[in-house]
Formats: sequence, structure tokens, C-alpha cells
Amino acid sequence: MIIWFQKFFERNGVVLSLYMLIVTFIWIVVMFVLPQIFMFDFSFRFNWTQIDPSKIGGPEDIYTLQHYKFLLFGSPNNPDPFNIVDVSVFARTILAAVFVTLFDVILCYPVAYYLAHVAKGGVTRLMMLSLVVPFWINELLRAFAFRILFGEEGTINNILLFLGILNQPIDFVRENIALYTGLGYAYILLMIFPIYNAVESLDRNQIEAARDLGSPWWRIHWRVVIPYAKPGITSGCTMVFMLSAGALALPQIIGGPSSLWFTQIIYQWFNTGSNWPRGSAYAVSLLVICVIFVLLIMKIFKVKFGEIGR
Amino acid sequence: MSSATILRLTTSFYIILFFAYLFGPLIVMSITAFNSAAFPRLSPWDCFSTEWFGVLVNDARMMDGFKNSLIIGFAVVLVSVPIGLAGALMLSQLSNRVRPVFYTLTISTILVPGVVLGISTLIFWDRMGMMFNAGYESFFYDGIVLTVIGQSTFISAYTMLVFISRLQRFDPVLEEAALDLGATNIQTFRKILLPFLKPAIGSAAVLAFLASFENYNTTVFTIVSESTLTTVLASKVRYGINPSISALAVIIIGLTLTVAFIHEVLKRKEQAREIALKKEGQSVKEKSTVRKPFRNPVPVMVLLIFVVGLGTAWMARGYDVQQCKIEVFEEKRKHQEELSKKRRAEMQKKLNTQKSTSSSDPVESTKKAAPGTIQYGNIFAPTNLEGQVESNETEPEIQKNQYQNIFAPTNLEGQVKSENE
Repeated sequence: MIIWFQKFFERNGVVLSLYMLIVTFIWIVVMFVLPQIFMFDFSFRFNWTQIDPSKIGGPEDIYTLQHYKFLLFGSPNNPDPFNIVDVSVFARTILAAVFVTLFDVILCYPVAYYLAHVAKGGVTRLMMLSLVVPFWINELLRAFAFRILFGEEGTINNILLFLGILNQPIDFVRENIALYTGLGYAYILLMIFPIYNAVESLDRNQIEAARDLGSPWWRIHWRVVIPYAKPGITSGCTMVFMLSAGALALPQIIGGPSSLWFTQIIYQWFNTGSNWPRGSAYAVSLLVICVIFVLLIMKIFKVKFGEIGR
Repeated sequence: MSSATILRLTTSFYIILFFAYLFGPLIVMSITAFNSAAFPRLSPWDCFSTEWFGVLVNDARMMDGFKNSLIIGFAVVLVSVPIGLAGALMLSQLSNRVRPVFYTLTISTILVPGVVLGISTLIFWDRMGMMFNAGYESFFYDGIVLTVIGQSTFISAYTMLVFISRLQRFDPVLEEAALDLGATNIQTFRKILLPFLKPAIGSAAVLAFLASFENYNTTVFTIVSESTLTTVLASKVRYGINPSISALAVIIIGLTLTVAFIHEVLKRKEQAREIALKKEGQSVKEKSTVRKPFRNPVPVMVLLIFVVGLGTAWMARGYDVQQCKIEVFEEKRKHQEELSKKRRAEMQKKLNTQKSTSSSDPVESTKKAAPGTIQYGNIFAPTNLEGQVESNETEPEIQKNQYQNIFAPTNLEGQVKSENE
């Protein structure tokens, strides 16, 4: 360790070494790790800021599990065996995020393959650029666009009514169709680029060989391309899953009135509920469950964490 | 037709469908910005108008948020580019054992939900402020400072990825040569590494600014009592929408396209220069790099959009929005009159048949026929109040199926008008 530091200083000089060390330290430790630890700590505390601010740091400022208990079982006079509202919202959020992820894989895999192996120079560049541009439009504006499309008097309903496919407008927002398509739309780029990067490096000769040996196109994909692209697919899935489980803007704007997203509950505890510790407890639960879920998937598909983001 | 052709056709069709999904919503939204109707929609189309841009500019809250967003965006660039650079340099020098750990930690900042990052930043600096007994005016509680910190946490990872991909092409021999020739470490850094990284610094800065500008999940927690464009937008979109938001979208899409275009041109120039440098002894010919952008489809497309936009703007000069509005208004009134006439006739017919059978209660039938009673059925329609307020300045809504569709958002506007008649 000390030898490494000596070498490091020797190679970079004092000024640069200090710049690199101090800046990365501030970033990783002060800006990222410490806040997570503080949030974790805060989630085990009573909500003294609202009840009685003078007790903060006093003898009564002790650790408690009440917020986690609340998430699981609800308030003490809750007649149900567990907190049905919050737990079911949690489960639905995870399930919907899985659904959105699967939707994105199926949608994006052919496009990524097309970009990597079928499209030629100029077309590829144009397509790449057109993929990136919608991604930089504000997430809220994208949500707004979906509201215009899927509203009860929205464009899609009008078209379907005009064509005579429907007699009555469908309430896409209430059915959560708007939300799922919107979430799928929001993270297309994060799915395409990892898959593209993985597929691109595949030797075309392998595909040719499989074709020469008489394999139909779907078997080429199933046995050659997809196994090769597995790290890319997994890292794309990880990102899309984490981001859609943690999405807040889209569910707020195009989510159905009766179905909450778990992040919205967290938001409520922070804003209208004024119970920060409980909000942090919920946030910690979301983070932990998501991370466990992702690690589990990685274990199943035998992909290492270090391959993500490449 | 061979199966290969069919396969190719389906693929092309799929790709077209995919890009329609990608651009359809944005195009539809952009067009609604030019419809004078009070509710953003494509059909029925009322009048071509640019009034919503005026509404947008005169929206003080929105402009205030926009100003804050700009400040935060620039601050985030200033913070996250140096951090990303340090991170990338650090990563390239770590031993093989530590590198994956470091990489995992940095990438985690992207994977952790933005909501969680925002909350943890908020709590951390709140506790810190308490620890130092800082007042509420200090930066520990300043929404803008906290937002810059919170956003930089994960945006630095983006910039780091940009630097990493550039550093992978760096030839360390250059650095060693400079050091051997007696340059100091700082000189080497400034004269060798930084010039090499210059394009990456540009890309990273653009990326950081855009990421900051569009962020909502982290910002909404760390911003505390201030507001940014996204938080203002969110509260606006949640409580009733109007096309001024579409107008904002048009502006942002335009800006994004411009930035993407400039970025693309610069990148091409850079690539051309590198290719030229690789060819030994050949000097860089500016001529070839200048001519190049016009040969590829991207700028041509952007230029086309620009020209079309300019053309419509020019056309629109000789066109009177007010006149069109009055016409549409008249049309709707006529349409409505026809409808009510028809309805009255139907009612009359019904009444007559009922009278002729003389079995029904006359009171009930008059009740049915009485105009206006049913209108109270929808006083709880979602945007009623809005409609009432807005109907003073915007033209009334279409009447077409008022009775079938009592919960349609813009009902009351129409009602107000019909009561006036």
C-alpha cells in the first residue's frame, strides 16, 4: 500500500497526485458513501425533528426499528396482518420494473443487432444520433408527450376512433399502459448501447459459419449471438431495472390515479408527510431490495458486476 | 419472393416502427405547440398560432426555474468534469486488484436510484449543518448548492466514462518521452495529456450540462425551497396542462438538435484530423474537413428541418390568428346549434310519442327535455375550474358530444358558452 503511494507520487508529482487523491476521495467518500451511511443511520431514528427538535442528540435519540415495522405491518392499530398498501405498491413496482425491462430487451435487441451488423456506415451514424437525441429531451417533457398521446382525447384514441377500431375511447392512463410505454421509452438508450457494444465485437465469421452449416436465423441468434451478447444484455437490464424502479417523474405524471409507484410513497413521506426518517427507511428498503434482485439475476446469468457500463 | 427478402423487409419495417416509437411522441408534442386550442392536441385542429410561446416566456415561475437550471447546469459542469477526469486517471493507475472495486463504486453512483441519491445528500448535509450549528442561510441548507452536489455525484460517473474511453486510445509512450526529455509532471500533464483529452473534455461538459438540465429525481429532493425548470414543469404538468409546455418542448428539442449537430461536426473534424495525421507526412487539409459535413445525411436533415421551420414562420406572417379563431368559433357555434336543434327535434318527437301513448308522467318528460339540467352532472370534471378561468381569454371548446362524455377535461368551457347564448 505504502509502496503503491510512493510509486504513485513519483509518477505523477505532488500536485497531480494530491489533485487525484483528494478529488476522488471527496467524490466517492464525501459525496457518495457517507451520505448513504447517514441515510441508513437516519432511517433507524425517531422523527424528533417534527415531534420535539430539542431531543436530537439527547439521551432519547436512540435507534428504533419502527419505520421498517411500519413498512411491513403498518400502524399499530392496523387490523391487517401486514401493511397491505405499501407492501403491495412495493411488489407492484418491482414487478412492473421487471416487465418494463423485458419489454426493452425484446424491443432493443433487434435494433442493436441491426446497428452492429446490418446497417452500413452513414446509416449507422444517423441512427446512433437519432437514438441519442430523444434521450436528452427532458424526462418530464417526454412524460408530457405521452400524456398528449394517451389521454382520453389524445392522439391515439382519436386515430383509433377515426379508423373505427374503437367505439369508445380507452383510458390508457388508468390502465397504466401509458406509464409502461413511457418507462420503456425513457430507457431505450440504456438498453441499446450495452447490447450494441457487446454484439459489435462478435466476429461475423461465426454467424457465417452457423449459416453455412444450415442454421436458420432464429437459431443463429439463440445459439450464437445472444450467448455472446449476454454481458451486454445483463448490464442493460440492470440499468433499466434500477432506473425504472427508481423512476419518479413518469409515475407522477402518467401513472394511473389508483396505482402508486413506490418512489411516490417515499416522496410523500418527505414532502407532505414530513417524516424524513420513515422516508429514508423506505428508500433504504427500495435500494436494498433492488440491489439484491440485481445481484441475484447476475448470479443466475453468471455475469460480473465489473462488466456493467462498458 | 425468397425468405431472405421477407426477412429483410420485416427487419426494415421493424426498424421504421422503432424509430416511429422514438420520434412519434416528440413530433406530436411539437405540433401541438402550434395549435391554438387550450388543451394540447392534434385533432380537432383549431388554428395555427405561436401564442403559446408568448405564454411560456411570460410565465415568471417557469423563467425563474429556467434561470436556476442554467446556474446549476454550469456549476455541475465545473464540478463534475474535474472529478470525472481525476477518477479516470486514478482508474488507469490502480493495481489490478483495487481497480474493479473502485470501478464498481463509481458505477454504483449511476445505478443507485436518483431518488435515493437526492435523499441521502439532503440528509447528510442537514446532519452536517446541525453538527456545525450552521444557520438556515448557510450553504448546508441552500437548495442550489445541494442540488449541484447531489447531481454531480452521478454525473461525475458519466464524465468519467467519457474520459476512460478517450484514455484507452492514449499512447503512454508520449508521456514517458516528455518526462525523459526533462519535462516536469505538471508540464507533461498540461502539454501532452490535456491537449489529447480536449475533445473528451468538451463532450463531457456537454453531457454533464444536459444530464443536469433534465434531471428531476435527485433535484426534487435536494432543491428544498428553490425551484428548477424541471420541478416547475412537474408541478405544472400534474395540475392541468396547456400547450405552453409543448412550446417549451419545441425550444428544447431545437436546442438539443443544434447541440447534437455541432457535436457531430466537431467529432467528424477531429476524426478527419486524426486520420490525416496517421497518414505519414501528410499535412492536415482543412478543405477536406470542411466539405465533409455536407456529404453525410445528418446535417442535411437538420438543415432541412431548420429551413422548413423558417418557411412556416415566414408563411405565418401573413396570416391572422385572430381571424382564424373567430372563424373556428363560428363554425363550432353552428355545429352546436345544429346539434341542439336535432336534439330538440328528437325530444319533441319523443314527447309526442309519449303523449300519444299517454301512459307516461308529463312532469318527467319535461324534466328530461329541460335544457341545462344535465349539465350539472359534470361539475366535478377534472379541469372544470381551469376551464372557467380560461374561457375568458381562450375560445370555447367544441361541443360535439357533451352529453356522452361528461367527464371530458374541457367540458365546462363549452358550457359557459352555451349558457351565454
